[in-house]
Amino acid sequence: MRTRHRLRARRQGDAAELLMALRPPAEWVLSAALRRLARRRPEVFERLGAFGEAAFVIVPDGSPVAFRLAPQGASAGVQVRRRNDRSPSVARIEGPLGALLGLFDGSVDADAAFFSRAIRVSGDIEAVMALHNTLEAADLTLADLLGLSGPASQMANEAVRFARTAASAKAAWA
Amino acid sequence: MGSIELVCPAGSPAMLRAAIEAGADSVYCGLRDETNARNFPGLNFSPAELKAAAAWAHDRGGKVLVAVNTFARAGEVDAWRASVDSAAAAGADAIIVADLGVLAYAQAQHPGLRLHLSVQAAAGSAEAIAFYAQAYGVKRVVLPRVLSAPEIAALVRETDVEVEAFVYGGLCVMAEGRCALSSYATGKSPNLAGVCSPPEAVSLEETDGLLTPRLGGFMIDQVAPGTAAGYPTLCKGRFEAEGTASHLFEDPTSLNAMALLAELRTAGVRAVKIEGRQRGKAYVARVAGAFRAALDALDRGETTAPYEARLTGLAEGGRETAGAYRKAWR
Ligand code: SF4
Repeated sequence: MRTRHRLRARRQGDAAELLMALRPPAEWVLSAALRRLARRRPEVFERLGAFGEAAFVIVPDGSPVAFRLAPQGASAGVQVRRRNDRSPSVARIEGPLGALLGLFDGSVDADAAFFSRAIRVSGDIEAVMALHNTLEAADLTLADLLGLSGPASQMANEAVRFARTAASAKAAWA
Repeated sequence: MGSIELVCPAGSPAMLRAAIEAGADSVYCGLRDETNARNFPGLNFSPAELKAAAAWAHDRGGKVLVAVNTFARAGEVDAWRASVDSAAAAGADAIIVADLGVLAYAQAQHPGLRLHLSVQAAAGSAEAIAFYAQAYGVKRVVLPRVLSAPEIAALVRETDVEVEAFVYGGLCVMAEGRCALSSYATGKSPNLAGVCSPPEAVSLEETDGLLTPRLGGFMIDQVAPGTAAGYPTLCKGRFEAEGTASHLFEDPTSLNAMALLAELRTAGVRAVKIEGRQRGKAYVARVAGAFRAALDALDRGETTAPYEARLTGLAEGGRETAGAYRKAWR
């Protein structure tokens, strides 16, 4: 049992190293997409009100890395961090990948999302609620977030559907 | 539209579209400020969004009812007046109001705008309803959730004003519009600030899977590992009194009166309402769809029973009640 845990920890550590090495291009792509979205649909971020410039940390269960999302302001963008990174943020949202993806397209009921305990939140609950309500109202898909169109957009959204099904079938990255 | 109007919540334009597409006859929504009783962060409409959403709904035969249903603060009534003006400019089919001053303003400034009396006004007698109708021309009253089905039937017989009744969603147990629990714990009340148990006063702490929600520093529950927890609303908390921990004010159950639709229709109820502007698109699509199917079944002379199972698992806190409609106590 213990050997299995050790093996899993090592695999996660290796994956973290790999993902951290790939960080600059991933951050660049995600941040550029976020800024494009802010330009194209400014009303999406208007809903965040005072929390537009706050940083949210999103941590998929079993993932070796976390995503630090700052929707607006001078440091707007997405940064890839190690999952145990504790640099200041307004709130931290952790949960299964499928449930987190469900937040983006509103397929997860608002109450179910945060209070069923499938998703764990800590930090400023008002900020988390503002972020959730913003995403829920935005009718966004992963393709919108990545700024994709045409066949690429279809592929991205299919991938989300697949990931959600896989995640709900308990397939994790660990 | 069938014999009863189905009124559904919309916390955003996306939720409004989901409600209408799922079969709502009308949606109710509010502007993004303290003038409506669901003033949660990230929720509600800007005046421009409201106008576009009303046009979208009208194109599909839907109605938009705008809630301006908190109580205006003395000396600071401009926000409430602005919301009434925005609703009128957006082409709202009605506004839902509780405050006498806001009713008087709307009647004077927008005589063509239909007025509905909010549940927040707690008008539960024929005399109270008659006053609002005579003084302000109110056309519909949303009944407080403290009346039984026979009481509603008796009330409808005594009034010419249309009656709307809640049939699904979270319950607020105090005499409507008069709860002081949230103000006591957080300084913000649903009646004035439009938000009960505001999220900025909520903190959640998890130790070894045991979740402790606090509101304004007060511990209001402890939830065992793996157990679902609702939004930490003060009246749904579990408190210790005389050595026993219990839901002192109210069990965390949700209203579901689908089984009473036939009775409410016979009683002469004109519209039924779903609670939950904060619950999102997935919720409203499911509830509106189930109630649309049930109401259509009633109009065909069939039972609503097959549609009741469609709502399983949606209730806040996971448990349902027929509320005061079937009350045996007084
Ligand atoms: S504390 Fe409960 S009863 Fe009081 S206003 Fe809030 S929801 Fe209603």
